[in-house]
Amino acid sequence: MSLAIAGMGWVTPLGTGIDSVWERLLQGHEASATTISEEFADRVYSVFRVPDSALRGISHPRLRRASAISRFAAAAGLHALESAGVKLESQNAERIALIFATSNGGVSYTKRFYHEIVSTGVQAASPLLFPETVFNAPASHLAAMLGMTGATYTLVGDGAVGLAAITMAEELMANESLDYCLVVGTEEIDWLLCDAYRRWRFLRLAPPIEPFSNQNRGMILSEGAGAIVLARDGLVTIERAPPGGYFNRRAEAETILRRILGDLSQIEIDFVISSANGTFVDHAESQTLQEVVPNALVYTGKPALGESGGAGGLWQIILAAQALHSK
Amino acid sequence: MAQADRRESTNDPARVAVTAAGVVSPLGFGLAETLESLRSARDCVTPVMRFAVTQCRCKTAGQVSDWRLLASYGQIPRSRRLHRASHMMIQALQELVTQQPEFEPELTVIGATSGGMSYGERYYRSLTGAGDLRHAPTWIANYPAQKPVTDAQTACGISAPCYVIANACASGTNAIGHAFECVRSGRYQRVLAGGYDALAEMVFLGFDSLQASTPEKCRPFDRHRSGMVLGEGAAVLALENLDSARARGASVLAEIIGYGISTDNFHITQPEPSGIGARQAMERALESAHVSAADIDYINAHGTATVFNDAAEGKAISALFNGVPVSSTKSMMGHSLGAAGSIEAVVCLLALQHQFLPANINFTTPDDGVDLNIVGNEPRSAVVDVALSNSFGFGGTNASVLMRKLEA
Repeated sequence: MSLAIAGMGWVTPLGTGIDSVWERLLQGHEASATTISEEFADRVYSVFRVPDSALRGISHPRLRRASAISRFAAAAGLHALESAGVKLESQNAERIALIFATSNGGVSYTKRFYHEIVSTGVQAASPLLFPETVFNAPASHLAAMLGMTGATYTLVGDGAVGLAAITMAEELMANESLDYCLVVGTEEIDWLLCDAYRRWRFLRLAPPIEPFSNQNRGMILSEGAGAIVLARDGLVTIERAPPGGYFNRRAEAETILRRILGDLSQIEIDFVISSANGTFVDHAESQTLQEVVPNALVYTGKPALGESGGAGGLWQIILAAQALHSK
Repeated sequence: MAQADRRESTNDPARVAVTAAGVVSPLGFGLAETLESLRSARDCVTPVMRFAVTQCRCKTAGQVSDWRLLASYGQIPRSRRLHRASHMMIQALQELVTQQPEFEPELTVIGATSGGMSYGERYYRSLTGAGDLRHAPTWIANYPAQKPVTDAQTACGISAPCYVIANACASGTNAIGHAFECVRSGRYQRVLAGGYDALAEMVFLGFDSLQASTPEKCRPFDRHRSGMVLGEGAAVLALENLDSARARGASVLAEIIGYGISTDNFHITQPEPSGIGARQAMERALESAHVSAADIDYINAHGTATVFNDAAEGKAISALFNGVPVSSTKSMMGHSLGAAGSIEAVVCLLALQHQFLPANINFTTPDDGVDLNIVGNEPRSAVVDVALSNSFGFGGTNASVLMRKLEA
């Protein structure tokens, strides 16, 4: 079964709006890095943040106490539905599914919640913050804003989770009781995440991101959201969405990538939106692409937009759709 | 996944068999111990020793024994570094694989809420308290929610792509439900489904701060219920196209026949008081299975024992079902969050196989507000052909699955 993209929404460090961000990328703009620090640590990290102006006009009682990740997701999700011309009403509220993809969830509130416990004691555990630490809080807020009553899922995984969400959407849409599936990938930045990725040897301290470099100097984290509305008709179709795979050891990455790309070998591929982000995985991706689609053009948006985990996969889909649609 | 194995959806949905299962919970390690605990209505909730709870309202939880988890050490490289959640998943999956060594899933769908949260806590405490951070890379690498799943698959020689569904307390049932839909649609022949979660200080304190957990016994649906106790564990089920399972001579433990999911938008931590979200999930499961409420023989309720949850679920059940026996087995083992739905699916599986109704322990006084046939305190022998399992979570996410006994 193939699915079509009926609408898209984009919240990035280069601003919001499909046309606006696309135009800036075509002009070669890159997001400006800012620094992020923490009171209990000396180290400072560079990150790509979503500008405050990007969230203007997004308000709802459910977002009053919500963290940035929920706001990004709401903005992207609403834009995608608007661009698809989909309006939720009581008659179709259960005919639209929602799938969220994230790698780290609401990390800033999680840190705040635990920090108060660690620094002040058990009595400081906040009943207001705790619900926002739950992975599916952003999905719950968006579902409530839209009045959705059907299926909502939050998927958690690595940088490929956004593409897994597309595969899951395809599985859900096999059920004809659904008309649309809104897929939202989203991530927020916190100093703690930067520190964790650095200790895991995935992060570099300052730009640039150097994809496909032999040095593997690492990535710069970014934040935002990407959303697409999947339908049975639309301007761009998704022909195949393989479910991917995980590797536990670095050496396994190439084998798994080869298997996934091999599954797509019947399709003529002209252009690849790569996930290259300056880490060791780039080498495996590069080798596999050379083997399986040696003539395809390859592009990665990560030097311009940063590595945004759960949002990254959706950003890649948006880039591919724009490339196909705008020729 | 091998593309050749896929087939497009047809109008004639496939039937979905459960051909194997594995479980680790406070009730025991494996199906046999779990059955024994259910048969004896054992209270497996014990004082929490893993972290300080002296200033908490609740001081107990359903806990999995660490020394029993040691048995999976050495199964895969660097296994001592793995999180407890990984060891729970490894042991549950090993039990499943022992029953069906030929089961090769094309997809794995697992529910979880907290991943390796206690490793995240250690990292944060070391970071802020100038502690020893030498092991930080290990804690960080074992923190992601997908890690226990890939660890278990590695230990068992499985390399299926996997989804980790984090729909709060409904995650485990959502995972089984989505896996069921994947096989039923014909898109996949074999899917591994389940859930896991390990007890963590942060989550424990979170529920305590909401005053959702109780300083007393966990008494689901009792008039004097005062809250939940947390639990932990892991469970996995092998879901397979019934025809292909039979063709390869696999034993079939039960059939999954329906799944319902709904979202209510009332509040992020409280169910809609009328129980509409729970009711919609159960109605959709019945519709999906093409059965009526009168066909249901047993309901394994979400039944957390919080005042609001049990009231809403009780209203939904009593509105839909006429006197069907109901129990919440969380009374015996606590609420294991992302694992709960899958462990309770295993409980339903055992009820169908062994023809009994698991008990809702600590039940003394019926709640006047809801009309339910609670299986109070002792299990009962009964004819159980169809069982319904409910899970409802934060964010207003509700899920129900229906399972049926299958004659060999």
